[in-house]
Amino acid sequence: MADEQRCAVYLDGRVIGYVKDGAAFAEEVRTNRRTGVVSGEINVAYIKGLNEVHINADRGRVRKPYIVVEKGQSKMTDELKEKLKNKEIDYNYLVRRGIIEYLDAEEEEEIRAAVDTKSINRHTTHLEIDPAAMFGLTFSTSVFPEYNQVGRHPVSANFIKQSQGLYAVNFNNRYDARAYLLYYPQLPIVNSTTYRTLNINRHPSGQNFVIALATYYGYNMKDGFVLNRGAIDRGLGRSLFYRTYSDEERRYPGGQQDHFKIPAATTEGYLGEHAYSKLSEDGIIEQELPVAEGDVLIGKVSPPRFLEEQTSFGIGEERNRDNSVTLRSGEEGIVDSVMLSETTGATKTVKVRVRNIKIPEIGDKFASRHGQKGVAALIVDEKDMPFTKDGIRPDILLDPLAFPSRMTLGQMLETLAGKAGSLGGKFFDGTPFSGEGRARVDEYGKILEGFGFDKFGDEVLYDGRTGKKFEARVFTGIVYFNRLLHMVSTKLQVRSRGPVQILTHQPTEGKPRKGGLRFGEMERDALVGYGASLLIKDRMLDQSDKADVWVCRECGDIGYYDYVKNVAVCPVDPGATLEKVEISYAFKLLLDEIKSLHILPRIKMKSE
Amino acid sequence: MKQEDNVSVAPGEAVGVVAAQSIGEPGTQMVLRTFHTAGITSVVTTKGLPRIIEIVDARKRPKFPIMRIWPEKEIAKRYEKVREIWRKVEEVKTSAVISNFEEDLKAGTMLLHLDREKMGLYELSAKTIISKISKKEGTDASMAGDDIIKVKYKAKSVEATRKAFVEILGMAIVGIKGIIKANVQQADDGSFYITTSGSNMEEVINVEGVDKDMLYSNDIFEVYRVYGIEAARNIIAYELTEVIKDEGFTVSQRHIALVADGMTFTGKIKSIGRHGVAGEKESVFARAAYEETVKHFTNASFFGERDMLKGVAENIIIGKQIGLGTGLVKLEVKKEDLKKIKPKND
Ligand SMILES: [Zn+2]
Repeated sequence: MADEQRCAVYLDGRVIGYVKDGAAFAEEVRTNRRTGVVSGEINVAYIKGLNEVHINADRGRVRKPYIVVEKGQSKMTDELKEKLKNKEIDYNYLVRRGIIEYLDAEEEEEIRAAVDTKSINRHTTHLEIDPAAMFGLTFSTSVFPEYNQVGRHPVSANFIKQSQGLYAVNFNNRYDARAYLLYYPQLPIVNSTTYRTLNINRHPSGQNFVIALATYYGYNMKDGFVLNRGAIDRGLGRSLFYRTYSDEERRYPGGQQDHFKIPAATTEGYLGEHAYSKLSEDGIIEQELPVAEGDVLIGKVSPPRFLEEQTSFGIGEERNRDNSVTLRSGEEGIVDSVMLSETTGATKTVKVRVRNIKIPEIGDKFASRHGQKGVAALIVDEKDMPFTKDGIRPDILLDPLAFPSRMTLGQMLETLAGKAGSLGGKFFDGTPFSGEGRARVDEYGKILEGFGFDKFGDEVLYDGRTGKKFEARVFTGIVYFNRLLHMVSTKLQVRSRGPVQILTHQPTEGKPRKGGLRFGEMERDALVGYGASLLIKDRMLDQSDKADVWVCRECGDIGYYDYVKNVAVCPVDPGATLEKVEISYAFKLLLDEIKSLHILPRIKMKSE
Repeated sequence: MKQEDNVSVAPGEAVGVVAAQSIGEPGTQMVLRTFHTAGITSVVTTKGLPRIIEIVDARKRPKFPIMRIWPEKEIAKRYEKVREIWRKVEEVKTSAVISNFEEDLKAGTMLLHLDREKMGLYELSAKTIISKISKKEGTDASMAGDDIIKVKYKAKSVEATRKAFVEILGMAIVGIKGIIKANVQQADDGSFYITTSGSNMEEVINVEGVDKDMLYSNDIFEVYRVYGIEAARNIIAYELTEVIKDEGFTVSQRHIALVADGMTFTGKIKSIGRHGVAGEKESVFARAAYEETVKHFTNASFFGERDMLKGVAENIIIGKQIGLGTGLVKLEVKKEDLKKIKPKND
């Protein structure tokens, strides 16, 4: 056979033979799979462009179930549906009978899947079990996404991932490095099939907020919003933050090992008596003790880094190092739990979990399920919040301008549905692509009217500060909000002075090291562009690594100051005179490194 | 105050940094991929950021060189005359005027089947083709039938024969080497001009009827070779302006002119970067801070170089106030004036 006429067949990436008609062969394998002749775990794909058949039977392929469509007819007939309802058959029956089949990425490539029964045509090969099945786990918790602009969907999915909730029911027995736990998770009034089928409604991750699309003296511009202090005091958005600190008694070559204990005052790097005051006798902190920055959680001493360090008195006394675990800088909390155990290497290990209550504050991030995020910009006393005729005060005031450009009409619909649901005392379904559009608005409107509300959700609000009626009516309702794990209290940091790096003498970087913000190359260029020469010097030298260095007048090398004799000395010629020069320490370091290249840099000075 | 004083740059202004930022900022928003514009003119050029990089890096040859050839004023509106120039310019290879060929490598002969239609397009006769092919040493060409040219080549081996035949097929019968495609176009005022893919100024300038003052090529080094450094400076500035304008941005001419001047003021075209402007800075520290730190320091020690600490980068490294902007001026007080200052009595 000529090459163009034969079609290679690959099994798990290896050629196992050739066939004449690849497409027909693939179809035959498929039929055999559906009838149970070959395993249902096999996937086959005919790749037209390469004229190759790829059969995959290896593990690790992600597969998705579809209903098989043959000759424009779904194999999931009404009769089967009825049987399924009466529990005469089950899901596995459908899979075994080839009514539902699982496809992997490669086979999925060439199918024609219809979203619903209505859109099946003569080309259709498969049918989605449910239109919402095209979404992943995260996004299927979204409601009414079909009314939102496409661009908001990935944003929304991202926010849902970041939301705090009840992440695991056994959280109390877990020692996660970081964990967030919402105090009072609520079931969304507007939920979806996924909430029920995947049991997400047993451990939800948000709360139903009463929202109003209103401004508040300019405090909720852009993505900022105003929070009701009364709501926060009642527990809105309140959450717990857990952090686990762990350590082990490591063994070192030479029979030495770490020890959990309160270090003696003679230990190298001793942090002072106060830091260890909360430790119990075994050197580990007690449960339910409040701890603050600088407190030691696990006291540990390690053997010296270098054995038998030489001192001027011969071989010195062995001095242990303090290697204790302290609470992270800027954090506080209560020791939630302490766990003692042994590692697989038979060394002692400790885990200390510290808990802290995070009450919503200015700067904390929240988001709805429609990619509408916001940051608390102001927390207002309940008495100052606007109120309705019924005395309802919104939990949150959103900027109305968040909607025109983002076009998240799904949230508008949810607001309405949430309001209707809360009044009528029932849950509504917002499963993706399951609704009938306008009919929903009418339904919710009818319920609202039944309770004496405006059918479009608008309400007359009164200013909480003056008691005056607002001229415009305000769109008010209930939306499910998630509290995201970005909270100011874990991020806020300021520095005016603080630690510097040992090597460069420049300020440290990053929050845990109380670092400064980097004044980088581009920032420097901007100042050069302005000609702000003294500001550059201030940033790059005075506020950074300024160092006074003695430079020899004769040889131009760097000397030192002898404080005993009170004179500056040049290491090359002790009699030479030196000059005190102000340079950046990084430059001194550079000169040292140049010297390591066997190059002697000399600094020539002009006499003043 | 004169208008000129209003717009002139103040002493100590960091013109280089501002120019770099002004060109660099729109650069971040430009398309990163090279894309081609296909149309009736079928002239392909590099656009956007890749072209800016090409110019600023002073590449020896642009990826897609193009030319614009304007005829002399007197003949500009006469299509026939312009077409004559076109005929002399566009390179026509042997392979372009034949329909197919048969080769007998053992005998050392090749039969070229002429395509009369294509020959008519370029107004070529079989005679010109034969005379052109015959110019190759050891080659003998003659008519062998109505539309067939027989080529004979004496060679030692089959390989050498094959090589010679390939060469003959790729031979330029008429036109200028490197001008892959040329098109006659009409300007708004009705005069005709020629656009080309491929550039060869050195030869096009000698073609009769070509306006030597209007000849354009986007190949900077070619402009430099033919017209000199001033022209090269202008073409750099022009090309940069056009690319930026094409992307819908506006950058002040001064920034572009500064870049063009910086690249050419030594009399040679230098790139902005390691091998050009940045690599030839006077200061050792400034060079070392940019790239190849160790190389610059070791070389500096070989030649006993001194860094006079005059530039910006080196002063920031050592921690001195830079000699730019507010750092340019020093305050001095006359000794007599000092005496005038009297302590305040509170
Ligand atoms: Zn000295």
